[in-house]
Parts: sequence; structure tokens; C-alpha cells
Amino acid sequence: MDLEALAESVVKQAVRLGASDCDVIVTDAQAITAEIEKSSMKQASAVSDPGVGIRVFIKGCAGFSYCTGHESQAVKKAVSLAVSQSKSGTPDVDFKGLPEKAKPAKVAGLYEPKLAQLRHDDVVSMAIALSDRAGADRRITSVNAGVSVALGDIALANSNGFVGSQKLSAFEAFAESVARSNDDMFSGVDGGWSRRYDGRMLERVAETAKEHALLGLRKTTVKTGDYPVILDPMAAGFILATAIGGGANGESVQRKRSYLAGRLGKKVGSECFSVRDDPTIAWANGSFSFDGEGVPARKKNLVKKGMLESYLHDSYSAGKDSVKSTGNSSRGGSMWTYRRPPSISSTTLVVEPGDATPQEMLKDTKNGIYLRITYDYPNLATGEFSGLMMESYIIDKGELGPSIRQASMGIDLIEMFSAIDLVGKEAKDAYGVRTPSIRISKAKIAGSG
Amino acid sequence: MGAEFADVRIESSTGTNVIAMDGKTKTLTSLRESGCGIRAFTGGAWGFAATNGLTKGSVTAAAESAANMAKVAKAKAKIQFKIVPAKAVTIREEYKAKEKTVDVPMEEKVEFVMELDKSMRSMDQRISSTNARYDDLESDRVVANSFGTLSRTKERWLVAACSAWAKQEGVVQRGHASNGSVGGYELMRTDYSHGLGMKAAEMAVRLLDSKPAPAGKHTVILDNIMTGLLAHEAFGHACEADAVLSGASVLEGKLGKKVADERISLVDDPTVKNTFGYFSLDWEGVKSKKHVLIENGVLKEFMQNLETGSRMGLSSNGSARSQAYNSTPIIRMSNTYIGPGDQSKEELFSMVKDGLLIKGGQYGYVEPAKGQFMFKCDEAYQIKNGEVGQRYRDASVMGLILEVLNNVRGIGNDFVLGDPGYCGKGGQSARTTDGGPHVCLDNIVVGGLT
Repeated sequence: MDLEALAESVVKQAVRLGASDCDVIVTDAQAITAEIEKSSMKQASAVSDPGVGIRVFIKGCAGFSYCTGHESQAVKKAVSLAVSQSKSGTPDVDFKGLPEKAKPAKVAGLYEPKLAQLRHDDVVSMAIALSDRAGADRRITSVNAGVSVALGDIALANSNGFVGSQKLSAFEAFAESVARSNDDMFSGVDGGWSRRYDGRMLERVAETAKEHALLGLRKTTVKTGDYPVILDPMAAGFILATAIGGGANGESVQRKRSYLAGRLGKKVGSECFSVRDDPTIAWANGSFSFDGEGVPARKKNLVKKGMLESYLHDSYSAGKDSVKSTGNSSRGGSMWTYRRPPSISSTTLVVEPGDATPQEMLKDTKNGIYLRITYDYPNLATGEFSGLMMESYIIDKGELGPSIRQASMGIDLIEMFSAIDLVGKEAKDAYGVRTPSIRISKAKIAGSG
Repeated sequence: MGAEFADVRIESSTGTNVIAMDGKTKTLTSLRESGCGIRAFTGGAWGFAATNGLTKGSVTAAAESAANMAKVAKAKAKIQFKIVPAKAVTIREEYKAKEKTVDVPMEEKVEFVMELDKSMRSMDQRISSTNARYDDLESDRVVANSFGTLSRTKERWLVAACSAWAKQEGVVQRGHASNGSVGGYELMRTDYSHGLGMKAAEMAVRLLDSKPAPAGKHTVILDNIMTGLLAHEAFGHACEADAVLSGASVLEGKLGKKVADERISLVDDPTVKNTFGYFSLDWEGVKSKKHVLIENGVLKEFMQNLETGSRMGLSSNGSARSQAYNSTPIIRMSNTYIGPGDQSKEELFSMVKDGLLIKGGQYGYVEPAKGQFMFKCDEAYQIKNGEVGQRYRDASVMGLILEVLNNVRGIGNDFVLGDPGYCGKGGQSARTTDGGPHVCLDNIVVGGLT
């Protein structure tokens, strides 16, 4: 089926029914997944998920509807529902229209044809190899792991004449190695994300999960106090995805829900802290040739040497501020979905690397904390972060010591960015952020020691 | 096609979503979904295939795909087991509703959401931004398996939620409130639902004079909602039998052993009617039941599905849930709570000379293999000699699964099953409710900025 033709025809249907503006996404996506439980092959899955999502504006009011599949009667019903919803809401003069027709950017590395040739047993074999490697130590008693391959054809059309399509692929892997010693246990986790098959990534995920399961078996507690903290790329990625990706969301800023509101052009961090948003990186999971509203992909600086330079916009927030969309309308994740209306999101946030190796960072820190995993979100209204250090280690005389149990880190985000005094040179992709380790000169640690 | 066991979930769903922000509707959504997911089991491994098509051809292709994948997976499976045949049931059920959400015009739902939004903005001039939303879903689900079970569930649920941001002298704070349950639109006609906006706005304004929480080890009193989060995060996830069998729960090997203070009983109960976590048939067609996970401090039971029950020599206790037809059923909680004690709230407070009252839950998480959990509150208060004082915000509370419930100083008798929420696991979301009484705990690490 010609997805672009279907998207165009659905736009026309919506306009005929009274839409002043409309965009339509048509997707045809498949995913294969292999899951390992307790070092044994557990499940192989194949999910096919075609669908159509329709967004309609009448007097600025947005109505959205979707249907699973491409069947014409279901699509027709969804168009009619979207139009009817947009008549039920309130007018919005802040809506200034959808993006004008533009040529998609040329971005390499969005789709790897080789992934389409993989069979179920190929993906199963990858998962088993990952698990075997993540469990290659007598102290590892269990490995839970998974590999998934996703492929998608995406077409987008809008009532300003934009019609475009792109093929996207994604390759993801995770491993959790569980180690036991006497009565204690600890797990090491790691994940990898790319738009292409990457054998080295699988090896790195396996080795890292194993290494940290074993490292974590030596345990300690820490006393409450102020410490220098090195954020591993996993922790830095998780925190910055929300702190910068969510904090710089143009709509949150306009509604004064973000701690970054009113700080454009102002200092928000130290000289060595620079972050850009970049959807043009080859094989990065956040890359695309056009965004969820058809705006060509382009990179932009968000924080340059500590200065806040830009917010992230889609057509709505850009129109409200009379600026151009930054191309940050997201259709959700690396593989786009038709199930949700678009919303503002970062693509791949890239933290400018420094020149310190991981060993140099530890040596230079001498005594402090190494935070590898947290799953806590900063409070974007207050600009504060307080969260559990799910996996963290003492830095003792420049070396990684035992893992810390039952401790948290708390810090104001602007203080945190301003306290960044050392940035590593080895970047890793984690949670949509390409970042090296970064060091904060001082953060409040609450401990049980 | 060679599978030892197979099951199918066929679903057809409709739903609406209304979001209003700052006095205007943001998006009005109408969804229509249909499809099926098929599982095939052979010798210790599963194959799963999902399709959005419900034609004979697409369903047959999905079944073949699932069976083939099960064979591929089986060839590599190191752990072999069988799914023990369960009693076949044929059953049909429909969640009751006085007023079905599909019969309520969109305009009326919009009016309700706009009223919530307005009530937040009119509560106080310091309210700087508002967000009100309403969601409903009606789903027709058929589950059939090769043991002969055929169940059909007409499920319906709805939820409304408000968030308000207040601003004063450069300080911004957020408050929130929600109400949800299985059932019909009558829930949105209650005073409680209509008061959600006011509740959220009051919290945002109240927090304006709060300070960052003091970091360190404290004696704490958890309110009903936070006790629920404790039950869910600290113990609930570790009691899911799939976590135990995967070797990733610190509760492995602890069944029948003391894991908590003898006054603690911890329950997961999907049969509590008119709750957001309610279900009467699970997603494998098994009748749900109340699970007493901890009784008098002793670990009594794990939550089971057909697979884990078979592997542990037990039966499923009806704990399998899928987010939708395109996800496999996994073990999930429902309504999780700590049972009431016999002390009044006043008695609990009088026991604390220097501590913190922790109120209202934002979110929590746990890694059962690391044995650590955390949950974050909306607001906290200093307790001095039993009296509540200085207000704090955003405190995170953390602990070790095998220690925390041994540090109980007192348990209140004021049981409340709390707000609706969603629990995430394995990339799937499930509607849940948590609750309990006020509980006083010693030696709890509280994260903060000061």
C-alpha cells in the first residue's frame, strides 16, 4: 500500500468535512523481540502494528483520532471522529497553523535494510549470546535479557501540502545480571539503543551488566553530607533527559511550568556544560529526516558554555512566541506511533564531551561518590532533584570502592549544572542522551551510615 | 501447529480523552482499537504474535507465527517445564455502570474538564497554570485457551486528574489530584470529582511556603497514600512470582519466613469493587482472588499466573494482566495495601518526638534484585513532640525490602484505599490503587536538598 497516498487522501477527507488544518500519520510497523529469563530462552514475539492517526483543527481547537489498521471504513470513521472532536472544544487563537511544506533533511543512518532480513531465530541467537556473555562468571546466578528489532514505514501529510515518508529501524538490547555471594545479592543492568545492528553494543551491554553485578556485591553505607559526585552516562542521561529535554520544552516554558522559564540568554551552568539537540546523528535512535509535523530535522544548541540559548518548539509553541518551530514535534519514541497526538520532545541530546578519561576523573576526584543508576525525575516546577542512588559507589583514594546501599542525592538543577567542573571524553547513549560522565563538585547525599 | 498450550486475547476498544490547559481545550481524542494477540507454548518457551487485523487470514497467520516462534525459542530453552492444565471455564461478565461513558456526549465531558480547569484558576490568583484531563475506555475482551477456557469481559473504566501550578516571588509549586475507578460516568458526577481542581490548586498554593526536605535518617509517619506506595514498591513487586522465578527477587526462598514486623499484613486484592485496580477475571481467563502476601509478618504467598503456578507446583491465583492485546500477560498488582492496626492517628503522632510526616505520593520504583526501593511524596512536615510543624516538599523515601517492615513503631487504624494510579512493568502499564493506614517507621532514609 502507498502510505503517502493514503495520508494525503485522509487529509483531503478531513478538509472536506470542515477541517481548517489537518495532519495525518500512517504507519506500518513490525517488531521482533527475544527475551531471556534466568539465563534461559523464554519468549520470542512478533508484533505487527499498522495504523492511522488524524489530527484536525477547527478555529484552533485540536481533535485527534486514530484507528488500528488501514482499512478504509475504519479510517473514514476516525476522520469523522477527529473532525467532530475538534468542533467540541474551545477556539484557540494561539494556534497559528501547521508547518509550511518543506523538503525533509538528508539524514543518513535512519534505516538498516539488514535488520529487515533478520529472522526470529537470528534475534533469538543474539539474545542467547548476550545472556551467555552477561552470565560468564560463577557468581552470576541469573541473567534476564532481551533483544528487539523494529522496522517502520511512516508517511506524514498535512493540509499545507506537506507529504513525506521515511523508513526507520531500531535495535535495542538490555541485560540484567544477578550476582549472589553468601546471603547478599546485587544486579547489574545495562542497555543499548541504535538504529542499526551493533555487535559491539551487545558485547558492551553484556560486559557492563556483569561487571556491575559483581562490583555491587561489596557493600557499604554512607554518612549524610556534601560530596563530589561523578554521574555515569546512565545516571547523567536519565537526569538530563528530563532536566534539559523536559525543562526546555517551549510549551512548559510558556505556561511557566519550567524552572528554565525566563532564563533564555542567561547563565544556567558552568563553562564546561554544553548541550545540543541533534536529530541528524547517523544511527542514533532519536534521528529522523522530518519531525512529527513535517519540519526538516536540524540540530540546535540548547546550552552553550553554560548559557541557555534555545527552547524546544513545535508549531503551536513556536506560533505563540512568533518564532520558527525547532523541529521538536515528537510522535513518540524511536519508532513513531499513530496512537498519540504529537507533542514537544528532545530528539538526541548531546552533551559536549571534555577530555578526561574515566580513570582520570576518578583519580582527580580522590574521595566522593560515583552514581551509576537513578530512575528519579527532577521536579521541573521547582528545578530540584532528589532521588535514590539505585546503584552508586564510594570513590576512595581515586578508585571505585564498594557499592552504597540506601542513599539519595539531592540538588538544585541550576546549582548542579553550575557545579559541573569535569566532563569525560567517552560518550554513551542512554535514555535519548549522548553523554560522557560528568562531575558535580558538590551535592547533598543522604545516607544510612 | 504443534503447541502444547495456546491462548488468544481478542479485543475491541473505544475511548475518549479530553485535555484542557489554562482555560482552553488542548486536545480532544477519540480512539478505536481492535486486534488480537496469540501465545503458543512448547517445552519451556513461548511464542507470541499480535496483529491489528481480525480477518481469518491475519489471525491464522498470527497463530502460525506464534507456534513457529515457540519452536524456535524451545530449541534454545535451558529450563524445561509444562503448563499444568487448569479447569476450563466459560464465563461472561460486564463491569457495571449506571451511566456508560460511551453514552455521554463529548460536549458534556468537555464541560466537566473545563469546569475543573476553571475551578483551579479561580481558587487563588497565584495559580499560574492549570491542566485538567479526563480519560475513559470501554473494552470488549475475549480470552480463549487450549484447555477450553472461554471468557468474555466487557471492561470499562474512567479517570480524571488535575494539576495546578502556583507562583509567588519566583517560586513555582505544583499540586495534583485525581479520581478514577472501573464503572460508569456517575463517578464524574460526584462532589469529590468536581472538587479535584480545588484540591490540586490548594496543594500548589500550600506548597509555596514549603522548604526542601532535610536529608538524613528519620522516624517517619507515612499517610494512607504513602503507606500504599510502600506496600506496592517495597513488597508488592518482589512478591510477583515471575520476579521470583527469574532469580531477581530478594524474597526468593523466603516463603513461610518472617519478613516483617508481626503486626504487618500486606494484601493485593483485585476483587475490591469500585476501585481503579479492580478486575474479576484476569487476562488468562482465571477468576481473580484476594492475595494475602504477608500475614502477621510472615511471607505467605506470591502472585501467580498459569506459568508460574505450574512451575511452583501451585495454581494461578488470577494475577495475569496485559496492557492490551498486543502485549503478553504478565503478573501485575491490583489494589495493594497494608492492613489496619489498632492505634489511633493521635497515638502515632504522640510517639514521635522528632521526625517527619510524609504525605501524598508522586511515584515510586523498585529493583527487587537490588532489594532497594524509593517513593516520592508531595509534601512532608516536621514533627516535634507529636506536633506538626514546618512544611517540606518533594522528599524521597527509600529503604531496603528486607529491612523496612521490621522498623515499624506503630500502625494506625484509619485504613483508606487511596488514589488511582498506573504501575509500569516490562513496558506495560496497569491501572492500580494503593492504600493502608498511617504507619510510623524508624530509621528511614529521607532524601532532600538540605
